[in-house]
Amino acid sequence: MSQPPERGRGAATVAFEHVSKRYGVGRDGRGAVNDLSLLVPAGRICVLVGPSGCGKTTSLKMVNRLIEPSAGRILIDGADVAGEEPIALRRRIGYVIQQVGLFPHQTVGQNVATVPRLLDWAEDRQRARTDALLTLVGLEPATHRERYPHQLSGGERQRVGVARALAADPPVMLMDEPFGAVDPIVRERLQNEFLRLQADLAKTIIFVTHDVDEAIKMGDLVAVMQDGGTLAQFGSPREILANPASDFVARFVGADRGLKRLSLTRVRDVQLRAAATVRAGDEVAEARRRAAADRFGYLLLIDAADHPIGWIEGRDLPAAGHVEAAMAVPMSPFLEPETTLKDALSMLLGADVRAGVAVDAGGRLLGLLTVDDIAGGLEAR
Amino acid sequence: MIDWGWIARHLDDIAAATSAHVALTAVAVGGGLVVSAVLALLIHRYRRAYGPVTAISGLIYTIPSLALFALLVPITGLSFLTAEIGLVGYTLLILVRNIVAGLDAVPPEAHEAATAMGYSPAGRLWRIELPLALPVIVAGLRVATVSTIGLVMVTALIGEGGLGQLMLRGFTLQNYTAVGVGTVLSVALAVMADLLFIGLLWVATPWRRARGR
Repeated sequence: MSQPPERGRGAATVAFEHVSKRYGVGRDGRGAVNDLSLLVPAGRICVLVGPSGCGKTTSLKMVNRLIEPSAGRILIDGADVAGEEPIALRRRIGYVIQQVGLFPHQTVGQNVATVPRLLDWAEDRQRARTDALLTLVGLEPATHRERYPHQLSGGERQRVGVARALAADPPVMLMDEPFGAVDPIVRERLQNEFLRLQADLAKTIIFVTHDVDEAIKMGDLVAVMQDGGTLAQFGSPREILANPASDFVARFVGADRGLKRLSLTRVRDVQLRAAATVRAGDEVAEARRRAAADRFGYLLLIDAADHPIGWIEGRDLPAAGHVEAAMAVPMSPFLEPETTLKDALSMLLGADVRAGVAVDAGGRLLGLLTVDDIAGGLEAR
Repeated sequence: MIDWGWIARHLDDIAAATSAHVALTAVAVGGGLVVSAVLALLIHRYRRAYGPVTAISGLIYTIPSLALFALLVPITGLSFLTAEIGLVGYTLLILVRNIVAGLDAVPPEAHEAATAMGYSPAGRLWRIELPLALPVIVAGLRVATVSTIGLVMVTALIGEGGLGQLMLRGFTLQNYTAVGVGTVLSVALAVMADLLFIGLLWVATPWRRARGR
């Protein structure tokens, strides 16, 4: 067994000071970023969000000097990045992009070990680190290490991309629409996994997206940018939803701002309902009694390790005998502790069910969350 | 028809002609690859060079081989060098084009990721871009090699030629066995060279063999 990855060697603050980027020369120069100033405290996720062409990706790329600013400074822990050799700087900054950009001719293991290899780590240290990171992002090293990127699913590729960015334990990570290329259900899961990782790693992360919901969910801080590369508002998701600084911000976060506030609350923050559960092998008579006591008349079949298997409707139970796994109907996507109530609501409405099953990171039952619970909370807020 | 006795008596000559043919081809393709790689990297770095470089190598390619050697003989004489200058010249168009096309086909996101993770430009070229360009480069090498094996025949007229020399003498002396031997061996060389490149590419690109999810 490989040891868990080293804990973050402390994140770094990232500061933009009056940063501008113009393309072209003189007065005709097109402004891509205009006088951007931001302070991202160590260990926080700052999301840059805005319509396309607002300069968010340009801003991101100036941090690791893929693009050089026309004016202003970017400081990492107080040191101007312009004073550092770009190649050394980039090896200390993790980088994840939407298209992932895995090297197609290298195995998953070689991809993850990219920066350690560039830093000339010893082979066995590279290997141990690679395995630990694959485990961290939920990929079994033995089965994935020797595969090539084209042999992975989109979600697996994204996980490898995150593992690769974390390989040399960088204090700062840049993520440009990292979950943009996968379907909504996989995206929701990757977001949750990433938030769980970040809770342990506490990296300083600059995260670009055009999706307001993702910004609100992922960001400790959100910077809303608008055309011409100006900063429209910078603050916590709660502040931005409660007090949009301008008409632009109000329009951008959307008329459903009230509904979006559901994104500020996660499944782990609310009181879940206990489910009426049953296990295979239980007496039918007992199961009937429990179903009768349940509000909806449904039983949740769980296995010996508390993993939910499916629903059994009380009146479908046979007259006598024992409960069998085959009686259960498989269920809709699970809710995770990191799932926002907004996502939970849309998942429940999408699956046309009244109650969602919440599970922990190990897939064990936590409880039930109903549409009514979510709606009730909305009124209370 | 075929004089087996002649073949038996001239095995040494046949072997010498064959190895001369292989040497002429190998030096031409090797030299062509070096020159083309330099030109292709120049184009990769300075895109404006693409037009002029392909125009000149295209022009060389259109000169009939006999005329090209006739032009060179007054300068470099009836020599190995003369033969190689011509042969290398003919490989440039296909090799430059394929190396550039191979490098252009590297996925932009892999290129960007490599830069952003701290590869130096040279490291990125060597570890990321060239391996990914390899299939297209090898495709160019196959065509260049097979056409060079044919062109080497023509250099018999300036005293080189490998198997071409054998055939030329055969025609002059009406020894059709020699002509037949030259023909069969040159075709065999071309097929073997092609298979060699296919094999090398197979060995060098394990990722293209991995299948499934």
